Amino acid sequence: MLEIRDLHAAVNGKAILKGLDLTVNPGEVHAIMGPNGSGKSTLANVLAGRDNYEITGGQAILDGHDLAELEPEERAQAGLFLAFQYPVEIPGVSNMEFLKAALEAVRKAQGKEEWDSVTLLRKAREACKQVNLDAQFLKRGVNEGFSGGEKKRNEIMQMLLMEPRLALLDETDSGLDIDALQTVARGVNSLRSPERGIVLVTHYQRLLDYIVPDHVHVLSDGRIIKSGGKELALELEQKGYGWLTGEEESA
Amino acid sequence: MSLPLELKTLAVDNARRSEAGDALAPLRGDSLSALEAAAFPDRKTEQWKYTSLHPLTDGHLKTQANGALPDALPTLADHRLVMSNGRLQEALSQLPEGVTLHRRARQRDELLTPFALYNGAALTDAITLEVAANTEISAPLHLLLHAASDAPAHCQTRVEVLLNPGSKLTLIEHYIGQGPVLNNAVTVIEARDNAHLTHYRLQSEREDTLHISTLLFRQTGVSRIDSYQLMGGNRLRRNDVRALLEKSGAELNMQGVFVARGQSHIDNQLCVEHRVPHCTSNQVFKGLAGEKGKAILNGRIHIHEGAMGTLAELSNKNLLLSPGAEIYTKPELEIYNDDVKCAHGATVGQLDAAQQFYLQSRGITLAEAKRMLSLGFVNELILALPDEGVARWVQPWLAGELSQYPGVNEEAA
Repeated sequence: MLEIRDLHAAVNGKAILKGLDLTVNPGEVHAIMGPNGSGKSTLANVLAGRDNYEITGGQAILDGHDLAELEPEERAQAGLFLAFQYPVEIPGVSNMEFLKAALEAVRKAQGKEEWDSVTLLRKAREACKQVNLDAQFLKRGVNEGFSGGEKKRNEIMQMLLMEPRLALLDETDSGLDIDALQTVARGVNSLRSPERGIVLVTHYQRLLDYIVPDHVHVLSDGRIIKSGGKELALELEQKGYGWLTGEEESA
Repeated sequence: MSLPLELKTLAVDNARRSEAGDALAPLRGDSLSALEAAAFPDRKTEQWKYTSLHPLTDGHLKTQANGALPDALPTLADHRLVMSNGRLQEALSQLPEGVTLHRRARQRDELLTPFALYNGAALTDAITLEVAANTEISAPLHLLLHAASDAPAHCQTRVEVLLNPGSKLTLIEHYIGQGPVLNNAVTVIEARDNAHLTHYRLQSEREDTLHISTLLFRQTGVSRIDSYQLMGGNRLRRNDVRALLEKSGAELNMQGVFVARGQSHIDNQLCVEHRVPHCTSNQVFKGLAGEKGKAILNGRIHIHEGAMGTLAELSNKNLLLSPGAEIYTKPELEIYNDDVKCAHGATVGQLDAAQQFYLQSRGITLAEAKRMLSLGFVNELILALPDEGVARWVQPWLAGELSQYPGVNEEAA
């Protein structure tokens, strides 16, 4: 479903991804690991279409759509979902109003039945419950005054409602305590399905104790330098990244 | 002939021709003398440097407006008073008990602008509303001020409101209209001891109209005025708002939202005068300008000598939605006193790229994302509107003001 071939990308003109290949099939969970600055978050943002993240070579194809040719909203409508590392606060726009606009746009584009406001509210409350987020958060401004953990859970809550074809999670584990980590992992696991691909971008192995990946890739200097099964993550945990990259790993 | 002189000559001629011998004659006479001595502004006049009177050269001052009222009038409250092209429409008006209506207005030395003087000099009708002492008017009063014409024309709208001691009123001053008509309006509100006014000023005329008005608050008693001012875009909108705090303990709260989209021009000149000690004023305005729209806010706070213990605040935050839009904001403080607490802030920003991307990444189009963020920017003021009727009215109105302007290509701007 996701086919990335020889992808080159630059951020504000600086080359970050330098020939990345990755194939994600439906039903698979991939983990992309790597040291700081290796290009993990760049990959997530390039795929989602953030401004100033420019594809300079190669291709990223999602279900036959060349992502480079789609606006960010069209990528979302095609089934791509990015759970942000740093979700932005939007005061004045309520979470509920935001979900309504997002789900209307995405469900309409995907030819799914529209949810009336009663259904939407019920589904949103269920999703909140699933990630341990008080339903009061639906009334508040999007991420406004949320703690770091609440922001991450709000991302997963949205993901549950959007039912994406491909979910990209950018460092969703960072800044979470162990309880929140388990909650988030439960949410993600509930989305595992033969129809859906999931890509976890993470620096640490601990998220993978709770969301067990089918494939683990190590990203270094803009390229995948090693791929393997879930045991590769454990090996990285023990040895650090240095043995693969040939550099001292400080983190 | 220069534009200011041409306009003044037309204004004086109109004033001389207006009906004589009625109850308004003394006011017209006094105003005419003042008008004859006054100069109409040009671009060199500091308070008019961003606003040209050029739109008035279409001949607005040559004809009296007489466009018809629309069949369906907006209804925001149970009690309503309607003025059309400056004239009271008695058949459509019904006052709550405790409010008395007089067909008169007074000469006021506090009205300074030439357009306010012109209003007095060329009046065809005027109303004064008086709220009886120690009377609380529980239901809001909807004052619908209409102006319309098919060809360039003008009208003078004059409303005065007196809140006697211990009275309480919610007044919705609501401007509507269509066509190339100039509504030259003056509103004077006086609050005496222990009076409390909740005031809404809704300016929702169509885009092709022109509006020049003066709003004067006089707090001659220990009183409280809460004023909420919502301004839509049109060809020319100029609001001179002057508030005089004349008795210790008076409190004034003004909040406002202005939206200048398309080719709209909105100019707000605010002046709050603390004339005596221990008064409070708090002003929060938010502005939006998009496409080729232009918005101006000048917020003057004048703290007179001896007005110790003054608390005065002014905040004006603005959002530019497109590269071709313009916003000019300036707080202007004049303080002749040490013992005051005075805070002011003004900002002009753009929509946040990270917020736009976040919404887009959830499938929302850029245009819709911009609309949602614009709404979000003013929502704290909109959601705080206490009156239910106004709150119901404001959502569709704001949605209309923030919807796309297909006629103006903002990316090319």
